[in-house]
Amino acid sequence: MSERDIRLKLENLVKEFPERGGKGTVRAVDSISLNIYSGEFLTLLGPSGCGKTTTLRLIAGFEGPTSGQILLDGKDITPQPPNKRDMALVFQNYALFPHMSVFDNVGYGLQTRGMSRSDIRDKVEESLGLMGLKGLGDRRPNQLSGGQQQRVALARSLIMEPRILLFDEPLSNLDAKLRVQMRSEIHSLQRRLNITSIYVTHDQIEAMALSDRVVVMNGGQIEQIGSPEQIYRYPASRFVADFIGRANFVPVAIDSTNNGTAQINVLGRECQVPLQFDYRAGMDVVAMLRPEVLSLREDPTLQQVQIEQTMYLGSEVEYIVRSGEQTFVVAEKDPRLQKVYSEGGTVGLDYISEAVHLLPA
Amino acid sequence: MQATSLRNPVQQIRMIMRDPLLAIVLLVMIFFVIVAILLPLLAMIGASVSPEGIPVFSEYLTSHVYLEIIRNTLVLGAVIGTTGTAVGFLMAFVQVKLDVPFKRFMHIVSLVPVISPPFALATATIVLFGRNGSISRGLFGVRYDIYGLDGLAIVMTLSFFTISYLNLRGMMLALDPALDEAATNLGANKWRIFRTVTLPMLMPGIASSFLLLFVEAIADLGNPLVMAGNYEVLATRIYVTIIGLYDTTGAAVLSVILLVPSLSVFIVQRYWISRMSVVSVTGKPSGTPQTIDHPFVKWSLFGLAMGICLLIVLIYGTIVHGAFVTVPGVRWDWTLDHFDFVINGIGSQAMRDTTTLSVIATPIAGLVGMVIAFLVVRKEFFGRSALDFGTMLGIAVPGTIIGIGYILMFNTPVSINLPLLGDIDLIPKLTGGRAVFGGALAIVLVYVVRSTPAALRSGTAALSQIDPSIEEASISLGADSARTFRRITLPLIRPAFLAGLIYAFARSMTTISAIIFLTTPQTKIMTQQILNEVENGRYGNAFAYCVILIGIVMVAISVLYFLVGSTTGTEQRIEGGL
Repeated sequence: MSERDIRLKLENLVKEFPERGGKGTVRAVDSISLNIYSGEFLTLLGPSGCGKTTTLRLIAGFEGPTSGQILLDGKDITPQPPNKRDMALVFQNYALFPHMSVFDNVGYGLQTRGMSRSDIRDKVEESLGLMGLKGLGDRRPNQLSGGQQQRVALARSLIMEPRILLFDEPLSNLDAKLRVQMRSEIHSLQRRLNITSIYVTHDQIEAMALSDRVVVMNGGQIEQIGSPEQIYRYPASRFVADFIGRANFVPVAIDSTNNGTAQINVLGRECQVPLQFDYRAGMDVVAMLRPEVLSLREDPTLQQVQIEQTMYLGSEVEYIVRSGEQTFVVAEKDPRLQKVYSEGGTVGLDYISEAVHLLPA
Repeated sequence: MQATSLRNPVQQIRMIMRDPLLAIVLLVMIFFVIVAILLPLLAMIGASVSPEGIPVFSEYLTSHVYLEIIRNTLVLGAVIGTTGTAVGFLMAFVQVKLDVPFKRFMHIVSLVPVISPPFALATATIVLFGRNGSISRGLFGVRYDIYGLDGLAIVMTLSFFTISYLNLRGMMLALDPALDEAATNLGANKWRIFRTVTLPMLMPGIASSFLLLFVEAIADLGNPLVMAGNYEVLATRIYVTIIGLYDTTGAAVLSVILLVPSLSVFIVQRYWISRMSVVSVTGKPSGTPQTIDHPFVKWSLFGLAMGICLLIVLIYGTIVHGAFVTVPGVRWDWTLDHFDFVINGIGSQAMRDTTTLSVIATPIAGLVGMVIAFLVVRKEFFGRSALDFGTMLGIAVPGTIIGIGYILMFNTPVSINLPLLGDIDLIPKLTGGRAVFGGALAIVLVYVVRSTPAALRSGTAALSQIDPSIEEASISLGADSARTFRRITLPLIRPAFLAGLIYAFARSMTTISAIIFLTTPQTKIMTQQILNEVENGRYGNAFAYCVILIGIVMVAISVLYFLVGSTTGTEQRIEGGL
């Protein structure tokens, strides 16, 4: 991506709030710099209080930054009021105007722009059709199901053809099944319209499913930026590894390094692992092994572990096994093809050495 | 929110009968509503459609004088509905949507009229702005004839706008800031948001404030008695018909004429407008409310609101000051004579009687309100909404009409003739000469009837916020319904209970229209005494009464806070009863 393709640029963005009941300040957003490229779907992911929603509200203009700049297509929009920014936000609780019909809700922004009645009618009808809301234009928001309300909220934003579409945890009020369905609708809509989107969520699956890039945030700062695969396979920190999926951590020392690989001893076995970061021999690090990287086999040469729990989940079997002080989560795919070990037994613990990832201790 | 959902009345009764205590309580409540509210109303309506009443109807409804009075009444209602709502809206808007200084001060000043004794505002306004007013004549040299619709508009707007203020402020606070943000995000500026989002969302609240104030205004007796001049309204006419002409039939007919607009507007407000509301109090509000920053808009609204507050302060200041001078508005010598008159003189009995009766009525009204709220929200029985509506009639019906109903119903004992035992009094004579307890029982009953609706409303609101499973948990742990109510329900709705108690006491101490026909030589009521003093031009004494009355109410509120426990937001709930 070249400098030209940058749609939105955040430069050293800081937001401080006065401390509740105290005299000090809390840094909700701590010096964030970030480029969002044209047509990209970017997710801000993190636990509650990590600053992701505040960042989004700074972008939308509902909060003013304590310091730093926001540039839209190269132009500084930091001083612009939110109604002058060419962005549309989809709210967590949809924020549909309860006193207006679906039609009026969707047409509200166009009306504000001063578009003619007949043009509004055409565009709204088209938009309702696109969102599968045909024939619901006369309804009030409270006469719609949660999923339909969500679609109206989406239609109301999309119709503005904004330069950036912003989402503030838009699926968190839906039940699990509907959430998955809406997730895939948002995904295909965004790919089809190729609209630049910034999406805030605390749900890592949602983030992975939707995004081109994920920004993992913690304590007001960016922990890591990368594609879903990058952040899952090569997390930059223990926090990211833990927040994105599940992980087993084994403290190890690096024996030697050679040609971008490190020699380490994990689970009683020497192995070579590719180096993602700048580690040197003798350093203490943490080896991360995802549950699906581990497997159980009856092999006396492997490190022997006790099976503490066996959970049959259909598509996989999950074990919790113990080796001395350390416990591991093991996920075995497709139990039809393999033996299911029962609780209380002892068995060997194997792993795929290429999938081991080293993190700073 | 009901614990059960039984359709069949027989099953419902069986369900309730499983708990005998509950059944007894329910019967007591039904008995209370029938005897204290419905029977007097029916007696009043009965008198109006009696053979003597029917001709009076046709006489009044064709007479120019009476048609004028009816028209005056409706105009007054419409004017106060409009001005009161406008002022309430302004104060609420400044409170919620502007970032200006002195907001706390303005909030408190806006609540002050809740505990204003009747006549206080009107009398003080006359002292300030009347024909010999210290401002109108003293400062500007104008002989302004304040009596009539203009004077009434000023005084009644200031007396009643608190209702619409609390109502609209609550709604404005409940507006989801995300809606403003969504509109902003779609390109709307503040003025457009106000026109297309804020105002339409508040429309049901504005309509309902208008109607509540309309009812309040046409029912009011105190202000028109002092301020109306030649502008006669139904309430004052009813008063004159009873006090001057001793014509109960005529008064009953006028009452029915007044009852029609009161009740129909009340029903429209309560069962129609209130359901149109699109503002819902949801869980966590998203975003922070935006404020209006445009300097001209901001500071002119602030100036207007501040002006109204200062006027209220000026009027109340006049009341307090006037209590300490020889002749307010004429001779400003410092004196304590008025207080001596009220505390040690003729006024002392009124002070003691009124306070005692209010103290008796307050806990009854509070408890009855909570119990009926509990029954209505939690239990399913035939006539549930009738019980709710019947209780609400206590405030929906103008006070004068309740008073006339009591005279007609309870001036003679209600007795039945039983074989062998002879005549047995079911209900003794409650009003007039030689009434039981010198008529005090009837007054307490009226106090309770007038205050229970507020407690019922705040109780209902509080209960619907509480998950019934909390009570079910108590019952499944072995507590009976009385224990559950006392240990679980009542503590949970304590803020509503406290609001009900405060309202009941303030209302009882300051009510005039409902008890004005019920006082007897043995039982003296302060508001009635204030009227006497005002009518005889002894404003100093009247003001001293008012100051003491306000003092008693303030002390009582502190005591109630201390007894029931302090809470936040109680003042917001007081509006519930209107």
